[in-house]
Amino acid sequence: MGTIVLGYDASPGAERALDQAVELASAFGDRLVIGFGVHPPGLGGGEGTQHREALREQAVQLTGNALQRALAAGVDAEIALVDERPAEALTGLGEQHEARLIVVGSYGESPLRGAILGSTPHKLLHLSDRPVLVVPGG
Amino acid sequence: MSSEVGDKGLKKDAIGFLDGLVIGISSTAPAYSLAAVLAIVVVGVGVQAPAVMLVSFIPMFLIASSFFYMNRADPDCGTTFSWITRALGPGIGWVGGWAVVTTGILVIGSLAQVAAFYTFDLFGAEALRDSTLANVVFTLLIIAVMTTICVLGTELSAHIQRVMIFAQVGALLLFAVVALVKGGALTFSLSWISPFAVDSTNALILGVLTGVFIYWGWESAVNLNEETEDSNSAPGLAAIASTVILLGTYVVTTIAVVSYAGLDRVAGFEDDAGIFGALATDVLGSPLDKLVVLAIITSALSSTQTTILPASRTTLSMARQGAMPEAFGRVHPRFLTPHVSTITIGVVAAVWFGVLFPLSENFVYDSLTALSLMIAFYYALNGFSCAIYYRRELTKSVKNFLFIGVGPVVGGLILTGLFFKAIIEYSKTDQSYSGSALFGVAIPVVLGVGLLLLGVVLMLVWRFGGHRPFFGRGREIVDPDVASGLKLGVAAVPEQAV
Repeated sequence: MGTIVLGYDASPGAERALDQAVELASAFGDRLVIGFGVHPPGLGGGEGTQHREALREQAVQLTGNALQRALAAGVDAEIALVDERPAEALTGLGEQHEARLIVVGSYGESPLRGAILGSTPHKLLHLSDRPVLVVPGG
Repeated sequence: MSSEVGDKGLKKDAIGFLDGLVIGISSTAPAYSLAAVLAIVVVGVGVQAPAVMLVSFIPMFLIASSFFYMNRADPDCGTTFSWITRALGPGIGWVGGWAVVTTGILVIGSLAQVAAFYTFDLFGAEALRDSTLANVVFTLLIIAVMTTICVLGTELSAHIQRVMIFAQVGALLLFAVVALVKGGALTFSLSWISPFAVDSTNALILGVLTGVFIYWGWESAVNLNEETEDSNSAPGLAAIASTVILLGTYVVTTIAVVSYAGLDRVAGFEDDAGIFGALATDVLGSPLDKLVVLAIITSALSSTQTTILPASRTTLSMARQGAMPEAFGRVHPRFLTPHVSTITIGVVAAVWFGVLFPLSENFVYDSLTALSLMIAFYYALNGFSCAIYYRRELTKSVKNFLFIGVGPVVGGLILTGLFFKAIIEYSKTDQSYSGSALFGVAIPVVLGVGLLLLGVVLMLVWRFGGHRPFFGRGREIVDPDVASGLKLGVAAVPEQAV
């Protein structure tokens, strides 16, 4: 049994990525790891406990919904909150679980906008040693 | 690699001592701060201006120690708010947090406006530079861009700031060294750095009041807390190291300016932050003088950003502890930053500046004078909180006694003294830019004390509106294991408060 890692933040792209990941996991009989990076961004000062807790609570809520859907579809799934930025969190999870592939949704925006806003799929493609599947937000 | 829900493991390599140092220095905006206060200090104490820079450093250094130890026990992004709440109780903690947020809001517009003014100056656009409308429009644009950057949580900021801060301190020191080598109106003597050579104690105290402002903001290095490698000591060390670097830069540059230009010429810039722009051309010639102008622009820009951040993190922490509306505690699902807090801070700062600057530039300058009052207020509380929070640890070693007890308390007492002295001195209308008064009291005092009192009122409103989980919290004391370094502080909020 292999593992598929999914990056999930409840955006439209992530919803479609979830569907895709569930489908693949069923087909391969894989386990699904739903990952979320909960490290506060911004290096300008003032990121501390309360910020981290806020992110963690939100992550638990968001990924919890995804977990329910995966389990309902008959896929063995778990949640992993990682204290890293999103792209690093997902590559780390990929390594840890020796994942078959990493699935993420894209926001479907232009490359320039993605570069300015910080695009996790874009970073992931550069960072990951494993196959990455990017699912457009439509 | 930490990956489980509830794991408190921290990411260790997020940001190092150097970055903490850089952020500590850039938040104080040395080029901007010095440009704003140098002439005022010189008018007050003459050639002993460098001595005032030195003396102002003492209370700040003592308070740095309290930030260091409180951060070790409670590395929370609410810093001052969170610490005062623990040590002195929720009511006064709330007002402390209010003071941090309000000082940020008051100064954001002024910082951005300096960037706007000098950008026009850099490109020789004198008509725009002298137009109030152009200044306001450009300033609001800068606030909008900086707020957006804070919401996006761009990862570039530490790298950009590292470059900017070295350019800034480098340009100031280049200017200082060339000015010293060239020589000028006066010859340096050791008495310039002796506070005992100042003629009147009153002049010295007033100088220190102004001087304290130039070290304000460096605690941002402590606000980084968990972001930093070895998070329970690196930020504190970075805060202390950045203070030492600031001290050196301020003293050397002040000596250079006073000796090169002489007292009369410096005094001419009392109401004008343009002092470096004007002197740089004489000292460095074109085009090197542009370096100094660039230093001031980067100084003002980076400190606009590093002022928005701690203010928004304070409201985030307050909201999550039940001390502010819940919305301020929200984080954006994609950018992971407290977007509601950040945008609110940006908008309020923009409105404050956008409305008041066109009405009266002097009123805006007066609001900066009011800042010294509010800064002294929350720094003093921080110092006292430290000694009280650690009270059972103070007698355990000489080091504890001096650095956790005596230092912060003396720092707190000095700042309390300055706070009341400032109220007395600034009440005289001749100390005010606008020269006007409300109820017979000059604008800076009305603003400074008024905003603190408003904080008390809002706190009471919040308190009587319920929110017992927060206001029902009792005073706490440091965990002895955390104090002795056996255990890391993890900043757990008491159960009943969540």
